[in-house]
Amino acid sequence: MNFKHKYVFLFPGLFVLIGILIFPIIFVVRLSLSGWNSYNGLNFIGLENYVRLFTDDPRFWESFIRLSFLSVTTVVLQYVIGFTLAHMVWKEIKFQRFFRVLFLIPMMTTPVIMTVIWRTFFHESLGPVNDLLQIFDIAPKWLTDPTLAKVTVIIVEVWQWTPFMFLLLLAGLLSLPKEPFLAAAIDGASPIRKFIYVTFPLMAPISIGAIIIRLIEASKIMDTVYVLTSGGPGTSTETSSFYIFIKGLREFQMGYAASMSFTYLIIMIISLTVIAKVLTKLLLKD
Amino acid sequence: MGKLYTFLKYFFITVWTVFVVAPFLWALTTSFKDFNSVNGGVTYIPWVDFEPNLEGWRVLIKSPAQGGVDIVEPYFNSLFVTCTASLVSIILGTLSAYALSRYTFKAGPIKNNDITFFFISQRIMPPIVLSIPFFLFLGAVNLLDSLFGLIVVYIVLLMPIAVWIMVDFFNKVPREIDETALIDGCNPYQAFYKVVLPNSIPGLIVAGMFCIIFGWIDFFFAFILTFTEVQLLPVKIVALNSSITPWWSLSASALVSVAPLIVVAFIVERYLSKGNLSGAIK
Amino acid sequence: MNLVGENLSYKLTEELQLRKISFNFEKGKLYTILGRTLSGKTTLLKTIAGLLMPDSGSIRFEDKNFLEIPVWKRNIAMVYQQFINYPHLNVFENIAFPLKQRGLDPQKINDEVFKSLKLVGLEGYEKRKIQELSGGQQQRVSVARSLVKNAKILLLDEPLVNLDYKLREQLREEFKNIFVNGLSKESIVIFSTTDPREAMELNGEVIVLDEGRVLQVGAAKEIFENPKDLKVAAISNDPPMNILKADLGSNKIKFEDIEIDIPNHLSKLTNKNFNFGIRASDIELNDNGFEFEVVLAEISGSETLLHLTRGNLKIITSIEEVMDFKIRDKVKINFKSNRAYAFDEVGNLASSPFRGGNV
Repeated sequence: MNFKHKYVFLFPGLFVLIGILIFPIIFVVRLSLSGWNSYNGLNFIGLENYVRLFTDDPRFWESFIRLSFLSVTTVVLQYVIGFTLAHMVWKEIKFQRFFRVLFLIPMMTTPVIMTVIWRTFFHESLGPVNDLLQIFDIAPKWLTDPTLAKVTVIIVEVWQWTPFMFLLLLAGLLSLPKEPFLAAAIDGASPIRKFIYVTFPLMAPISIGAIIIRLIEASKIMDTVYVLTSGGPGTSTETSSFYIFIKGLREFQMGYAASMSFTYLIIMIISLTVIAKVLTKLLLKD
Repeated sequence: MGKLYTFLKYFFITVWTVFVVAPFLWALTTSFKDFNSVNGGVTYIPWVDFEPNLEGWRVLIKSPAQGGVDIVEPYFNSLFVTCTASLVSIILGTLSAYALSRYTFKAGPIKNNDITFFFISQRIMPPIVLSIPFFLFLGAVNLLDSLFGLIVVYIVLLMPIAVWIMVDFFNKVPREIDETALIDGCNPYQAFYKVVLPNSIPGLIVAGMFCIIFGWIDFFFAFILTFTEVQLLPVKIVALNSSITPWWSLSASALVSVAPLIVVAFIVERYLSKGNLSGAIK
Repeated sequence: MNLVGENLSYKLTEELQLRKISFNFEKGKLYTILGRTLSGKTTLLKTIAGLLMPDSGSIRFEDKNFLEIPVWKRNIAMVYQQFINYPHLNVFENIAFPLKQRGLDPQKINDEVFKSLKLVGLEGYEKRKIQELSGGQQQRVSVARSLVKNAKILLLDEPLVNLDYKLREQLREEFKNIFVNGLSKESIVIFSTTDPREAMELNGEVIVLDEGRVLQVGAAKEIFENPKDLKVAAISNDPPMNILKADLGSNKIKFEDIEIDIPNHLSKLTNKNFNFGIRASDIELNDNGFEFEVVLAEISGSETLLHLTRGNLKIITSIEEVMDFKIRDKVKINFKSNRAYAFDEVGNLASSPFRGGNV
């Protein structure tokens, strides 16, 4: 079909989106080439911000590596747990609907608000976690020890977002064709073989999609960190977004923050493309 | 299947259920506590470990002057912003998705897939990248700290989701249905609202739920783009967290804030069982 | 006043789906477009409907440029091979939809809907939901919806192909009555199919389509008796006509090690080498015939199809009864050579038992 009416369908949405975005995007590029202060606004300084970023700011790169570590770890955990859960409530099980709804609930809750609860949960003296760990006579510093703080962030992220992975994978499982499973049943394949040779390969494209979607969302980790640890102790849980936020909206080095944003965006697009390619190769090789 | 597998299955499900429920249970019990039962050692079971009271819940509806936390206004602000932005995103996103699913577009090297990708790729943009220019932009047009400014920003967050789900949904609706409507005398607009739309309700519901989820849970933009005039719920609660608010009112307000979206979980599960979400992921 | 198409071409991506197609369809007649899958049948019907815009060429109808009229104003009807109805409406509402769209008054709509429900044999089903109907009933609803409009052009795109064998036979008969006898003299009916038998039974004007080209146009009987070339012979026969490379000897026709007498109508062939064509149904079991080996035996309806070999020869024969054969069984067959065809080396019909061909 090809009627001129098609533009009336497409354009409102497209132009509203472009209209809202065009100024910010152009502005962020322009801003990244500028110094900024409240007296005389923008002054063009060329690539100075970028030079500083690439030669004189290890904190940015550290925060990026930390972000990569945190998001890859959480997404891998979410994938493994999410797939296991989805596989378990996929077929007949008691209280199937109850479990399906229950496992979805965390993603419906506002991350920062739940993090407020998690803070009291992991409180070193008044929280239930350390109260129970008293039995073993240990009292981990969940929020103030540099290593443990990362673990806490990961726990909270896994709690919050495994449901999303679960949702995507369960939807995928429910949409699989029945014939391959019948064939496997006729061949008398064991459940494990059935999973390795039938379920998992059939789920490969859906898995790749789900992992990429989650990586995109996970790389935005920021709310949780802000409330849970404020990037601390020190900079031990500081992610890229958080560092850019500090530079831009706390220290008001807007130009520099814009150059970091822009660099960060480019790195994200490149690495997501690479990851998508690698995953496709790994999982879809047959 | 082996007994071991069944055992492991139920063991794992139990462990995960406990993990999912734990923070809620903790918040629920804490919301009924008083100073002594919070600060005098950890307590768990009401009436046994501590005497429950409703103070934490009462302050929710009191104004700050009366010593309350006043989350009523932020609550309605959040509802209003989320629903309005979701509605606009769904309407515009559905129209665009329909065009992208049914018609071919070509402008130089740009084709349908590229336009679809442009819509969806807005999700890749980290909020921080947009927040600085939005901060300056909304400041320039005097929309900082306003509901309207937030709605505009949320549309950018939500429309990609609507387009993503609806393009996929429309791709699964046979285009012969639209063609039959055209043959039966509908012009393309009539074909869309008389025939395509009534048959797209499951897709619209799923897309709507996702928009509401991702609108409702946003903190970052609300945090940066509003200050005192307009407060959204997450920002309000986080503000409580950093002040001297006692744990019981903090817990009560947190529970009240996450409660409405639990209904959404039921709706999503319902449509998931019908398999209406299946293709949207690939 | 006719529906006239000239030099219609359409391309979707790289490949042409329609290549300079021309036609002249008269009112009150039934046309059958016969062609294999992907031969361009659906594309042609959609172009006539106005769902596709041809890249070049013209369509005129009632002395108007049809291409300037959008689909929704063309007063056509179309039935698809998938059973397409409006899932959110019940049977009555489905059939009434085009009439409501025209703004007819409710009483008139009611009368017309019940008239066409009766025509397709679905009285009493008007309150049913579409999803509650069987495939055959769903297709009846879409036929009823296409009839109720009294459209000037009725397009049927393989309407029977997705039905099971028995239902197909039954509906084909019914549809023939509806379309051939039940329609006004003002309508043009265009029916597309891959099934040659369907085309013969509908007995209208047949247009043989292949790779977006019109190969032959003519009455069903004419196409069957005198296929223009090898391609038409293949498309208009199911199973396809057997084609064997043959030599014309002094008084015998030879292929491989087989020799048969020259039938009268082939005696005037001038060229020594030709393609000997014989329908599967014109090969009979005969104890005095040539010995072949069974490669595959399939039962289709009330007949048995045998795939046979002998040396390099491969043929298919159909037997008018259900018989049991095993693979590698030996059978003896005879060619009814008085019903054989001859095609020249480039594939054009040289001689047919019905006096066609150029010899």
